[in-house]
Amino acid sequence: MATTAEELDRQALLEGIGCSRKRKEDPRFIQGKGNYVDDVKLPGMVYADMVRSPYAHARIKSINKEKALALPGVLAVLTAEDLKPLKLHWMPTLAGDVQAVLADEKVHFQYQEVAVVVATDRYIAADATELVEVEYEALPALVDPHKALDADAPILREDVKEKDNVGQGPRKHPNHIFSWEVGDRDTTQSALDTAEVVVKQDMLYPRVHPSPLETCGCVASFDKVKGQLTVYITSQAPHIVRTVVSILSGVAESKIRIISPDIGGGFGNKVGVYPGYVTAIVASIVLGTPVKWIEDRIENISTTAWARDYHMTGELAADISGRIKGLRVNVLADHGAFNSHAQPTKWPAGLFSICTGSYDIPTAHVKVDGVYTNKSPGGVAYRCSFRVTEAVYLIERMMDILAQKLNIDKAEIRRRNFIKADAFPYKTALGWEVDSGNYQAALAKVLDAVHYDDLRKEQAEKRSRGELMGIGLVTFTEIVGAGPSKACDVLGVGMFESAEIRVHPTGSVIARMGTISTGQAHQTTYAQIIATELGLPSEDIQIEEGDTDTAPYGLGTYGSRSTPVGGAATAVAARKIRAKAQKIAAHLLEVSEADLDWDVDRFKVKGVPGQEKTMKEIAWAAYNNVPDGMEMGLEAVDYYDPPNFTYPFGAYLCVVDIDKLTGETKVRRFYALDDCGTRINPMIIEGQIHGGLTEGFAVAMGQEMPYDAEGNLLGNTFMDYFIPTFVETPHWETDYTVTPSPHHPLGAKGVAESPHVGSIPCFTSAIVDAFAHLGVTHMDMPHSAYRVWQKIHELGLDKQA
Amino acid sequence: MQVNLEKSFPLPFPASAAWTLLSDLPSVAACMPGAEITETVDDTHFKGKVKAKVGPATMAFNGEIVLKNIDHKKREMHMVGKGQDSKGSSSAELDLKAWMLAIDANHCELKGEAVVTVNGKVASLGGRLMTQVSDQILNQFGKNFVERVMARESASPENPSASGTASPAPTAPAKASELNGLSFAWSVFVGLIKGLFSPKKPDTH
Repeated sequence: MATTAEELDRQALLEGIGCSRKRKEDPRFIQGKGNYVDDVKLPGMVYADMVRSPYAHARIKSINKEKALALPGVLAVLTAEDLKPLKLHWMPTLAGDVQAVLADEKVHFQYQEVAVVVATDRYIAADATELVEVEYEALPALVDPHKALDADAPILREDVKEKDNVGQGPRKHPNHIFSWEVGDRDTTQSALDTAEVVVKQDMLYPRVHPSPLETCGCVASFDKVKGQLTVYITSQAPHIVRTVVSILSGVAESKIRIISPDIGGGFGNKVGVYPGYVTAIVASIVLGTPVKWIEDRIENISTTAWARDYHMTGELAADISGRIKGLRVNVLADHGAFNSHAQPTKWPAGLFSICTGSYDIPTAHVKVDGVYTNKSPGGVAYRCSFRVTEAVYLIERMMDILAQKLNIDKAEIRRRNFIKADAFPYKTALGWEVDSGNYQAALAKVLDAVHYDDLRKEQAEKRSRGELMGIGLVTFTEIVGAGPSKACDVLGVGMFESAEIRVHPTGSVIARMGTISTGQAHQTTYAQIIATELGLPSEDIQIEEGDTDTAPYGLGTYGSRSTPVGGAATAVAARKIRAKAQKIAAHLLEVSEADLDWDVDRFKVKGVPGQEKTMKEIAWAAYNNVPDGMEMGLEAVDYYDPPNFTYPFGAYLCVVDIDKLTGETKVRRFYALDDCGTRINPMIIEGQIHGGLTEGFAVAMGQEMPYDAEGNLLGNTFMDYFIPTFVETPHWETDYTVTPSPHHPLGAKGVAESPHVGSIPCFTSAIVDAFAHLGVTHMDMPHSAYRVWQKIHELGLDKQA
Repeated sequence: MQVNLEKSFPLPFPASAAWTLLSDLPSVAACMPGAEITETVDDTHFKGKVKAKVGPATMAFNGEIVLKNIDHKKREMHMVGKGQDSKGSSSAELDLKAWMLAIDANHCELKGEAVVTVNGKVASLGGRLMTQVSDQILNQFGKNFVERVMARESASPENPSASGTASPAPTAPAKASELNGLSFAWSVFVGLIKGLFSPKKPDTH
């Protein structure tokens, strides 16, 4: 720890951990000089476009390509029949199911891929898709998941009809995917049976889509002479894509190069492997030319990874003082047409069992049933560490409802049930070990900052005047950083993360990671970690990611895992270098290693002022003057397998005013306190929090993917789908506490998802609170003006005197 | 998505005269804006096409029409038309029941119940306009139908009411070639505005 002014100066020059260093990525982005997949142009490149199904459920009777092939410029039209000989008409999903690459005999959701057209020009390809004649026989669509398991429900997946297991355990109906249970059923039942108070609530977390600014796409280029395949792709997990492509195509992994260049937002939308990628790769192999495929917005919203669609029922058992005795949750999960959840293999409901939240709950039981419907496949996207958003929504809603039932303030009921600050690491009833936390302090800080008691007084006055004001409160705990390889794998590969650091003779550094930034500024923050660990200025540290030919294997960026896992790998690799540097320094100073102290950017001989070697000097020596028996060079690799997840937390408070005549909600105040442990770059954290809060606002107040009874998606353009701009977005107030993770090398926990996970139930809490005095306990999202007005109207509050 | 519509058009003619036209499917189709029968397969099966513009989506539907039932005695007919957009991105189905209700010797009413079902892009993009557009299509259909009956009646020599007609007998209405005129857009717009101010139950959207 630097203490003297001179040391602090040296430390400041490094721009290491804790410095709000400006993002290294921004100059190229704000000048329009980013390099996205659609910017990639290769010689001879041709273009692919998709023929998609207008029906949610139909049998394909015939496909006639003649007219399309006759259009000048059209090179190929591929259907499932063409992919069949290559066994590529279906592909495995990360959840153990299979997904049609191109519809094989049946279509299972609207906009499903039916055929791919390749042409010399993007516009010819689009025109040609309209010339492919597909004859359909419409079948009854299954849209409501509650009817999926009915005896007379239409059977969707004829390809797996006979199977009693589609990758995630036994199932009981052709439309059933899995049943997953965790916790103690009996003790939970008895807690509910014997409790002084029980509250129960159904709630729907609607289907939403992350809709990143950049849609999905790729450029596939197969070199027939070298037998090498290069794919530029919008992927949050390029190394996994390489493994999947190798398994599917039979091309050796070493001959496949996957490059994720700049990515225009991911939010989980870009983790999976989509039919567009596979068909572009096949087309490139067949045609021997580079093939580009880029989705449009409708295709992105209609077919790629969405989020949630959880129909949840929560039950809390408590005593009359509000102390919780047990929690039971039942979930019906609508997974759409294929179970293509991109998540750790062993977790069919992701990390949903974190739903005991920040509370000391003695017993709990969770059961989740997944079903097929005629909707697009996907499901764990959107700024969420695998179903944590749903879990936090459930427990935070239940806490409010319990408070309301017992007439206890919602802050007080949380205080009474918090896991105590001295109880960490805390083992939850559903098996997680929460690493660290201090929930009381976080809540107290927020309540002080907003003058909570005054807000409640103001609300009481407004209620007496018939005005609608609501105060929302959430004290969430997240689980991020998947994860320990014992518990988490993707396709059998443990969910470690990697870093490879090379220090050059002059002390500049190049480091490569297995993660990939989709806007989180890895080039900035990883450099800060290395700067602090090695005492070299972050400005001289180059970070590279996303090219599987150069970067070490990693599982990618999603579920807030870059800092908890990738950041840890970076710190550990840097420490390996520092250990070697210490040996070189001892050699140069002719003392023993034990006689050296690390001081910001140099090793000093204990008690001998002036006897020191800076990291730069050591780097130079590493290439010309090392101790006997030591190999030259200064570099290290680390594959970090985390011992546990990390558990960031926060306390959020929201104040809304609702117009009684229009249902319009004004978010007057939103105060977000986050604790993500050690803060690497406070400015970037703040940016991540602003983004997460804004996306949370979008979900809570307007986003949904509405399907009609025939399975038509009625909101797949930005005409309908709510994307907040500066006009709608509320003002955010942010705050923080620091409770480091005890097991992470830096104490850091991950932050990008917390504001999303935490803010959504906070908005619902505030909206419901505005009606709480009228007996309302829950309202489903989205809280659009129309839906809020319906509640006002139902309660007769809009009657004018 | 589905739209249910009920319509009635009063006609200053005897029910029997109007029924003659209604029971002739190619003539009925010609009253439908943008529609035409391209092939008569047999007495009850026809092929046809419809051009329509719903919001940003322009479509040409090719499809089949099946005359499910025709009852000359009750003057009722039931037809189902199914079509797929030539671009393959949308499909539509029209289930239409129509009948003639006699009011008195010289007046009748054309009654209709239609269920319009659309799938694909037209539902996704044009959904919010579907009710208005369907309503306007049927209104225009009713207008054309009335004109056609008038034209037939005035041309028919044995019709006593025709000889005394003061107004010049209209010829068959100009064939509506495509459902996409400015006037049509205006009528949709007017319908939409009217809809806003007419009392209706909040939908479940």
